[in-house]
Amino acid sequence: MHIPDGYLSPAVAGTTLLITLGVLVFAIRKISSTRDSLSEKTPLFTALSAGIFVAQMIAWPIPGGTSLHLVGGALAGILVGPWLGILSMSLVLFVQCLIFHDGGLTAIGANIINMGIVGVLVGYVVFKAVYKASKKVWLSGFLAGWLSLVLAGLTCGIELGISWSSALPIYVMTSWHAILGLIEGLITSGVVSYLTIKSLKIGGGFSAFS
Amino acid sequence: MLSRKTILTLLTLLIVSPVFGVILAEEIGYHEPLDIAAEELGLNESEFTWTPLKDYTVPGLPEWLGYIVCGALGILVITLIGSIIERFVKR
Repeated sequence: MHIPDGYLSPAVAGTTLLITLGVLVFAIRKISSTRDSLSEKTPLFTALSAGIFVAQMIAWPIPGGTSLHLVGGALAGILVGPWLGILSMSLVLFVQCLIFHDGGLTAIGANIINMGIVGVLVGYVVFKAVYKASKKVWLSGFLAGWLSLVLAGLTCGIELGISWSSALPIYVMTSWHAILGLIEGLITSGVVSYLTIKSLKIGGGFSAFS
Repeated sequence: MLSRKTILTLLTLLIVSPVFGVILAEEIGYHEPLDIAAEELGLNESEFTWTPLKDYTVPGLPEWLGYIVCGALGILVITLIGSIIERFVKR
């Protein structure tokens, strides 16, 4: 889902960059105000960011048409909370873009919005809501991962759609990610369930449980 | 800093990554939904690049090895930045 250079209009590229910068400043301010618990979460932040980076390199080609890799936005939101999760995904996306040209420089704002902001916030909110209602970690993780990818794909489709005055990318990106998101949901559910069962003591529990 | 268990997990993922990211991707043809949307719209990626490590390749190395080297470099950079943040927060 990494948008390269040349896919977005200058207006969309500029607007998404401004929105991203605003959200990153807001996220840093929110994190700074909770500095006490932050020192406990930063080791997980580092491990999570490195883990998401390498997990995204494992691309699964699906015979018959398309491919996928874990995005990890929901996972980041569930494990370290929305604001640190946004920073974790942003760090991964900056490294991918600046060092490996995975995603365009002009599209960095859009890519962070799709995978790092929408993906994280949707994953976090859905996990919290479903867990509160069902108390089932696997179900909450699955729906969080699935919906985070579907809405990240929808956002990406909207950005392309506005750039080229076409509804087609919205349909293509949402429909494909509704299918591929099932695997994001399974991986998110598996990792969160595993870490919960192992009862890893990280920062006094995962952010989305509190 | 990363725990030994985390480092082992990262190394395992790193070593298997070319199987999926290079070998299977070439066998079956890596094709994301974004590629499908771009084809429908007739979009072309800009040729301009700013790094010799584009798409996780290292000039002069076989693709699978370059993929692992790039993965290791990415993990190293992220861990370094994470460690700097950890030190800053502990102050």
